[in-house]
Amino acid sequence: MTNNKLIIAAAGSGKTTLIIKEALNIDKSEKVLITTYTIENEKEIRSKILRERKSIPANITIQTWFSFLMQHGVKPYQGSMNDMLFENDIKGMLLSNEKSAPKFDERGRPLFIRGGGRQYYGEKDFKEFYFTSNWRIFSDKISKFVIGCNEKTKGKIFTRLSKIYSTIYIDEVQDLAGFDFEIIKMLFKSNINITLVGDPRQVTYATNHYRKYPKYKNGKIKEFVNSELGKRIGCTTDESSLKKSHRNNQKICDYSSRLYPDFEKIEPCECVNCRKTTTHDGIFVVRENDVAEYLETFNSTQLRYSKATKVDIAYDVCNFGEVKGKTINRVIIYPTSDIKKWIKSNDAELKDGTKARFYVALTRAKYSVAIVYNYSDNEEINGVEKWK
Amino acid sequence: MNLKTAHIKNFKCYKGSFKIDFSQGVNIIVGNNETGKSTILEAIHLALSGVLKGHYLRNELSQYLFNNEVVESFLSNLKNGKNPELPCIHIELFFDGHTTSDYAKLQGDNNSMKTEAVGVSFKVEYDESFNDEYEALLAEKNELQTLPIEFYKITWKSFARDSSITTRSIPIKSVLIDSSNQRYKNGSDVYISRIIKNNLNLKEKAGVSQAFRQVKESFMSNPSIEAINKQVKKNSHISTNKNIEISVDLSTQNAWETTLMTYLDNVPFHQIGKGEQCIIKTNLSLSHKKSEKADLILLEEPENHLTHSKLNEFIKSVTNNCKNKQIIISTHSSFVANKLGLENLILLSKSKVGRKKTYINELPSDTQNYFKKLSGYDTLRFILCKKAILVEGDSDELVVQKAYMDMHDGCLPIENRIDVISVRSLAFKRFLDIAKIIKHPVAIVTDNDRKFKEKIIDKYEDYEGVESIKIFADEREELNTLEPQIVDANKKQLDILRKALGIKKSRYNSEKSIVKYMVSHKTDTALKLFETAEEIKYPRYLEKVIKWCDDE
Repeated sequence: MTNNKLIIAAAGSGKTTLIIKEALNIDKSEKVLITTYTIENEKEIRSKILRERKSIPANITIQTWFSFLMQHGVKPYQGSMNDMLFENDIKGMLLSNEKSAPKFDERGRPLFIRGGGRQYYGEKDFKEFYFTSNWRIFSDKISKFVIGCNEKTKGKIFTRLSKIYSTIYIDEVQDLAGFDFEIIKMLFKSNINITLVGDPRQVTYATNHYRKYPKYKNGKIKEFVNSELGKRIGCTTDESSLKKSHRNNQKICDYSSRLYPDFEKIEPCECVNCRKTTTHDGIFVVRENDVAEYLETFNSTQLRYSKATKVDIAYDVCNFGEVKGKTINRVIIYPTSDIKKWIKSNDAELKDGTKARFYVALTRAKYSVAIVYNYSDNEEINGVEKWK
Repeated sequence: MNLKTAHIKNFKCYKGSFKIDFSQGVNIIVGNNETGKSTILEAIHLALSGVLKGHYLRNELSQYLFNNEVVESFLSNLKNGKNPELPCIHIELFFDGHTTSDYAKLQGDNNSMKTEAVGVSFKVEYDESFNDEYEALLAEKNELQTLPIEFYKITWKSFARDSSITTRSIPIKSVLIDSSNQRYKNGSDVYISRIIKNNLNLKEKAGVSQAFRQVKESFMSNPSIEAINKQVKKNSHISTNKNIEISVDLSTQNAWETTLMTYLDNVPFHQIGKGEQCIIKTNLSLSHKKSEKADLILLEEPENHLTHSKLNEFIKSVTNNCKNKQIIISTHSSFVANKLGLENLILLSKSKVGRKKTYINELPSDTQNYFKKLSGYDTLRFILCKKAILVEGDSDELVVQKAYMDMHDGCLPIENRIDVISVRSLAFKRFLDIAKIIKHPVAIVTDNDRKFKEKIIDKYEDYEGVESIKIFADEREELNTLEPQIVDANKKQLDILRKALGIKKSRYNSEKSIVKYMVSHKTDTALKLFETAEEIKYPRYLEKVIKWCDDE
């Protein structure tokens, strides 16, 4: 029996640390893959191993999800998928943030369907559907290609893969969507030991926009595992090992948990080392006019939704999306107008993407989170302290 | 874990595509000169290591790697206003045994068979990123004299299209042992360093480089070097704060392998005899113990620098240590081929149609054994000639040759690649076993020894109907050997025969007495017949053999 596992983790609960610990304990003769969606997290995993071991053991490979799919899913049997691909190299990938392969007329103007939406190439136009004119594959269709190619070759892709790796870890699994789920299913079916780790609250990316398994988008990996695998594929779900935060203090845990009332509340850990305190701990709101002074006092890292937000460039700054996986002592968050509404009243509805990003931002800090918010003197704000 | 098949396209003498299969243990490639034996070894080594003649090919691309005819036809097509495709060298190696992780990584359909296989593909091909430059070149001149090799690149990929493969990621390690003797600039032999390095594990390698580094560092801290550096510093007038000193080069990654020299009994390796070098290199690579990597040993004509007894010693160590190693050996030596087993022979030949290979793996095992024990037989001479005539002894050999010359204006049969080989008649059948498999034209010239049925019909019945095999003998049992046959053929001109033999009519007046003389002076009479200017007549069955030689 192979060992398939899904670990639902809280932010700051040490999931990458857990993966690394497990991976380093595997016998050196067995090959291990650790894969994750973002380049940042891939680097983070790498440097965490280096901190532990000085060098990355030869039996461990770390690569991003796309690079893994390209190397082991797309390329080995691309010719069997379509004869054209014996002659033509696939020259990498084009990151597509929206649905790929729209149609244009001869003069390069977009074509529309009668209802007003864009026209797109379908699977019948193999080349145009999957590739740019110079044979770069659209990132949102890679996993669909892999599944298609695996069917055409009667399962050769996953047979080959199971000869290469005995264990595969997928970190930040909540970022996967659509046909990625099908790939996870195939991995579960193979004799590779699969461990998925993720926090469903932190869906800040989606690997593909292809409409497959729409029910399970936005991090519903647990629901997918519970209802789509069928009886023959086993996977155990572990929601308890990683439910405590080694990063955030009680106040930050309490406040961030408000974003996801349906989930079990996150609690801080009890490790002595993790629980140091300072004179300024917790969640604070800071008026715009006081930001300069606040930054001077606490030197917090500024977190913003996107580049468009104005910040004080004299201090460190990051976008919400870039900080996943990181621990920062103090942060100051520039909220969007929607987020401001939520701060005012926690009943306000937040879009999934915004909520996830805000959650990531909140859970970065070890000691203090400041939110730039122009409160009035008599305003009652739930769960936060006013600075000054 | 071994090399199963090599596909070679447009590389050196191989025009178009050429495919050759190998078995797990020993493979012996034989063939005439220019049939491409060494090229096969080079191609395999190149695709496994990226190295050709001791240098990384990446930086040394040249037109001469390409098949000349292919290049010529490209250039002439271009000249004639056609748009020919730029030629491409393609070497593909198919491996067997895809159970381990390292092998599975090389598995995919990126091969000319378009099927799932494990292997690597090595190409020297036109680099499309030079499209603009190439177009400009063609626009300027409407013909080219040479291949535009400056626009070529090397593409080295696994069958899974992974282009990040290196010698390390290919689980088959190859050692090419030839007589070319490539050396580093200090004289240290490239192969011997590599073989020794291959024998070390990671820890040992790190140990060597560490020791090497320490020696260099201690050189630097030696008082006299320090003093010199002080001196240098004092005497040189360079800007303040900058420090000038002499030091040893620590910059190159694997400095030790290019700097260290291998010694044998205090003699630098490259100074010892070439034969000894060959034996040592081979033994070192045979003793290679790393189990995770399979070893492929490529040996080019080991007989070149070895005496017969050294060759014997060499073969013995190859056969004793070749377990779990794959060996591909090219040779001209029948001795090497016989000893290592004729069943492992791959025969290369060249014809107008192209290049061909024949495998002799179905040779009956008693025949294999026979040649292993009696390894003096010229099996390769037999295989490599155009047609072979097997005769029973020296005198038959001489007479057959002479008969051929008389009918071909004094031209020796060997000049037309027809080889007359004298073997004991017991060995005839052994040679015929080989001929049967490779469909090699062979004639047997034999005596009936007064038992035509037993000695000819029964003995060779297994080969009846084999088109390439012909048995020539006379059925008249009273003429039991060559001598009475010759006397019989010349019975109407006994004087001429006597003259040729230099005997007197007075002493040898009857046919019977001439036969008696000839039989008792066998070699002598054969020599005389061979050298005579007299027009001797030959027995019918000999005439037929000579005619057979001229058949297409």
